[in-house]
Amino acid sequence: MRSFRSVFIAVVIAAAMVVAAFMLNSRRPRTETDQPSAANVRAGGKCAECHSRETPAIVHEYQMSKHAEKGVNCLDCHGLNPGQERLDHRGFVLAKHLTAANCAKCHATQYRQFLRSRHAAPAWAAVLGPQGFTAEQIAFSEQYHPGGVNRKANPVAMLEGSVPTAGGCQTCHAVGRPNSDGSIGTCTNCHARHAASVALARLPETCGQCHMGPDHSQIEIYHESKHGVLFNAQRASMHLDAPSRTLTARDMPVPTCATCHMSGLEGMGVTHDTSERLSWYLFAEISTHRPNYGMAQTNMKEICLKCHTRPRIEEYYAQAEQQINSTNAIITQAKAIIDGMHASGKLDAKPLNEPLEFTYFNMWHYDGRTSKHGAFMGGADFVQWHGNYELAAKLIELQHASQGGEAGH
Amino acid sequence: MPRLAVEIFVIANLGFLALDVFIAHEVNAFERWPEWIPFYFSLAAPLLLVIGLFLRRAHTALSFLVGWCSLAVGIAGMVFHLQSHFFGEETLKSLVYTAPFIAPLAYAGLGLLLIMDRMTDSESIEWAQWVVFLALGGFAGNFVLSLADHAQNGFFNRAEWIPVVAAALGCAFLLVVVTRPDDRTLLRATVTVMVVEMIVGAAGFAYHLRGNLAQPSPRLWDRFLYGAPIFAPLLFANLALLALLGIWALTRSRSGAPAPSPVPA
Repeated sequence: MRSFRSVFIAVVIAAAMVVAAFMLNSRRPRTETDQPSAANVRAGGKCAECHSRETPAIVHEYQMSKHAEKGVNCLDCHGLNPGQERLDHRGFVLAKHLTAANCAKCHATQYRQFLRSRHAAPAWAAVLGPQGFTAEQIAFSEQYHPGGVNRKANPVAMLEGSVPTAGGCQTCHAVGRPNSDGSIGTCTNCHARHAASVALARLPETCGQCHMGPDHSQIEIYHESKHGVLFNAQRASMHLDAPSRTLTARDMPVPTCATCHMSGLEGMGVTHDTSERLSWYLFAEISTHRPNYGMAQTNMKEICLKCHTRPRIEEYYAQAEQQINSTNAIITQAKAIIDGMHASGKLDAKPLNEPLEFTYFNMWHYDGRTSKHGAFMGGADFVQWHGNYELAAKLIELQHASQGGEAGH
Repeated sequence: MPRLAVEIFVIANLGFLALDVFIAHEVNAFERWPEWIPFYFSLAAPLLLVIGLFLRRAHTALSFLVGWCSLAVGIAGMVFHLQSHFFGEETLKSLVYTAPFIAPLAYAGLGLLLIMDRMTDSESIEWAQWVVFLALGGFAGNFVLSLADHAQNGFFNRAEWIPVVAAALGCAFLLVVVTRPDDRTLLRATVTVMVVEMIVGAAGFAYHLRGNLAQPSPRLWDRFLYGAPIFAPLLFANLALLALLGIWALTRSRSGAPAPSPVPA
């Protein structure tokens, strides 16, 4: 009897230890005990095991993504490409920084289209000029955007210095930065990282991260326009994640930025060249036709035709182009005044060191752009009060200064 | 005979620890020079013990030398490992992912086994009880480590509970054997439990091996360096073997030995 008692005692002690272990484990927080799904482990491999606890948000973002749905795993994107800095991480060889080259392994067509756009090299060069780009990259970009990369660094960026430039300008303009692996740009500015989302890229707010503010106030203009109002009213019923190649007006009955500038709506070709449907250099001091003016305008009007009749579109374009001509005329007058003051010695040759030079800069860089963007995007208030009114007031200010007021007052 | 078997057990374990320590400290790229101490000690100690087996005069001295050194290496290792940031964070993750402060105690356990072997009559029941007691200590460590490591893994596979249950059984049966060394039924049951522990160890080794081979790391070595600890499950089989040696010694000593004290002195 004593013998069995000993075995019984041993079994009871063992059971107590196991129960204690179970209880300890059951009291642990859910965040520690939750497991990645089997599909996620298959797709994410070893990574998901740790990162479900170490950085759970990005794993969840990935789980919701099309990448996870299609079985694209972490190493497919994070793997090392030629020319990239290596990161040894718990037995895996990773790229320290991901670039467009990592995405281009699968999305080569989209990357090639992107390279032709002003989102590529010209975006970065708009701040820092051609530094960092190879001769081949510059030559390639100049085919499509003459003077887009072969240009001086932005005088405002030079005036403000490296700190505000790094934290400000370069954050958005990094969409076309030169990378150490020979590629250009980053796709994650629009698609985010682990979400890798087409729906995100179609949201106006995504474009509005950069296309906002006084110098390029597209998001504000969009939200004032009927397009923006309808989008906000109907966004819940829209299918922003619909496949690009089969996107219909049923999926997106109201256009967002991507619809007009990139999407393949109702059988049209989808493009990552955001310049492909743009016919004017609206951002320029004096706006001129882009090299592909005719084709670009035809492409954009094709999109307009999904919702509007041709006469209405032609009327709209004619009115918008009148606004361009009007703004060009005002800026030309203002430029003549400033040039005259430089010639007469009222202003010195150094750029942006006197208040009147900022007045002129604000005219074309803020008010002129706003009036033109407003005209093309249906933002009446931006055409008028934020655009033409400011242009008129500042032109008079310049005229007054040139006719007798204090230089640089 | 049990004494010789235990000495061979210590020699084999110290030698094997050289490989185990090399893998463990390679993760840390041997960042600090003291990390080489247990490695070189594990290479030298078995040689000294083997020499001792053939040199009767020097046998005890060499055993004591290796035993005390092993104890020192174990305690020093634990102190070094205590610098890990577990004590700052006090989380399960930091406990599992930082230097395991219990691991160096393997040296201390082997050192104590050698010292005890030389200080106690190997034919006595006390010697056998000490062997079982040290195996019990090992199983207690196994219980904590298998629970903590697999909890950190979120018990992803339910089979990860098997070593926890097995370690609990090992602890419980050996604890009762230490206190009731003359209970034959208990000893038979414990032998059965120890055989099960060996099977659990072998199965764990197979599970860890399979998991590591399935990893997507580019180099095979990395899969083992950063994957599931390949040798850890074999500790079950190893400690079960030590416990069986102790039980064997218990059954041998009981026939002619004086009445045992209930608890080791």
